[in-house]
Amino acid sequence: MLEINPGDAVPIWRQIEDEIRRLLAAGALVAGGPVPSVRDLARDLRVNPATVSKAYQHLMVAGLLEVRRGDGTYVVEVPPPMKRSERRDALAAAAVRYASLAFTMGASREEALKELEAACERLDGHTRRKS
Amino acid sequence: MNSNAVVKLNNVSVRYGKATAVDDVSLSVSPGSVYALLGRNGAGKTSLVRCLVGQQKPTHGVVTIFGRSVWNDRASLMSRVGIVPEDPDAPPEMTTTEIVRFCARLYPKWDAAGVAERLRRFDIPQTIPYGRLSKGQRRQVLLSIVLAGSPELLVLDDPTLGLDVVARKELFEELVTELAERGTTVVVTTHDMPGIEAIADRVGIMKGGRLVLDEDLETLKWRFRRLRYATAPVPAESVELNQLETTSVRRWGNGTEAVVSNYDDVLLERFRSVSGVRNVEVSPMSLEEIFIAVAGEQKGADS
Repeated sequence: MLEINPGDAVPIWRQIEDEIRRLLAAGALVAGGPVPSVRDLARDLRVNPATVSKAYQHLMVAGLLEVRRGDGTYVVEVPPPMKRSERRDALAAAAVRYASLAFTMGASREEALKELEAACERLDGHTRRKS
Repeated sequence: MNSNAVVKLNNVSVRYGKATAVDDVSLSVSPGSVYALLGRNGAGKTSLVRCLVGQQKPTHGVVTIFGRSVWNDRASLMSRVGIVPEDPDAPPEMTTTEIVRFCARLYPKWDAAGVAERLRRFDIPQTIPYGRLSKGQRRQVLLSIVLAGSPELLVLDDPTLGLDVVARKELFEELVTELAERGTTVVVTTHDMPGIEAIADRVGIMKGGRLVLDEDLETLKWRFRRLRYATAPVPAESVELNQLETTSVRRWGNGTEAVVSNYDDVLLERFRSVSGVRNVEVSPMSLEEIFIAVAGEQKGADS
C-alpha cells in the first residue's frame, strides 16, 4: 500500500514520509495503530533501513508517530494541531510543486488557479457529504 | 572531518609497469553507510577493491580501515571484514556443507543458524561439489558464510553478476536485512544500478582509474535532470541555457533534450523566463542514466 519510486529525484526518505502522511490522511493508518517496523518496511520496499528510519524520525518530530519502548512504532492517538508556521510552510511547498507542474505543462496562471478552485470545491463537497 | 570513517583512502594509486589502474583516489566511507563504487569494465574498480581488502599494496597512498593501515595490519583487520570477491575461490571438490563446516572454525563469532537459513533461501544445493556450482551460486555461498561471521565491514565485488532477477532480489533483501540488524558498513562495486539505487548512501564513479565523482546519492539525484523543450519559433542554436550546466545536449527539429548537472528550481525559472522557451519538461534521472551521463561515451573528456 506504500509506494515509492527509487528513480525519482525526490529523496526516498521524503517519499516514504509523504506516503505515510497520505495514508494517515486517507485513514488507511489509524490513530493509535501500529506502523510497520523499520526493518520490515525496508525489506518490503528494498531500500536502505537508514532511509526508512530517517522518514520515521521526521514523522516523530512532527508528532505523528511515536515509539513505544520495546513494542514498536505507532500512530499517535491524537495528532497534534499543526502550528500555523508549519502549516504555512507545508502549504507553500505543496503550492510550489503544483505551480511548477502546471507551468511545466504549459498551463496559464488562470487555468492553474481555476483547477485549484475546482479541487477545493470537490473536496469541500465530499467532506460535507461525509459528515 | 570524517575522523570516524570506517574506510579511508588517501591518494591511492596502483600502477602495473607503465599502466595506471588507479590514479590518485581519495575517498571515505562513514559507519553504517552503503558506498557504491561504479565504473565501466577496466575503470579500476577491482584494483581499488584489492587494495581495500589488503590483497594488494598500493603503488602510492594509504588505505585505512577502522583507522588502521590495511597493508600493515591486514591479518588482524580482516577478521572484522567480510569479503565477497568477483570470482570467489574455494576447493572445487568440497561441498557447500563441508566448506561451511570448515569456515565455522575460522571465525570468532559464528552464526550457524543464519548461514543455514540463507543457503536455504538462496536455494543452494548443499551436497554437490563447489566446483560444479554456477558462478552466481558460489558468490551466494560465500556471502552466506561471510555474513555468518558478523563482519563490521562488508566488501562486495560485483555481487549480482551472473545472478538471475529472482536471485538478485534475494541478495539485495539479504543486504537490507543485514543493514537493519547490524548496521554493517558496505562497500559494493556493481553494474546493477536499479538494484543498488535504493540502498546506496553514497556513490563513487571511476573512469580511467580516476574517481571522477564521489557524492551522496541524494544530492546527485537532485542536481542531475533531463530537460526537454521545444524552441520554435526561435532557432534551437540561439537558445542559451543560461547558468544551467549540461553534460549533453541533443537537438532534433524544434526539440532539444539536455542533461543538466546543476539543476535547481531557481535556475530553471530563470532559464524559462530569459529564454522564452515554452513547454519545458523536467524529468528526474535514474542512477543508471546519471552513470551513463558521467562515465559514458564522451571520449577524451579527461586529459
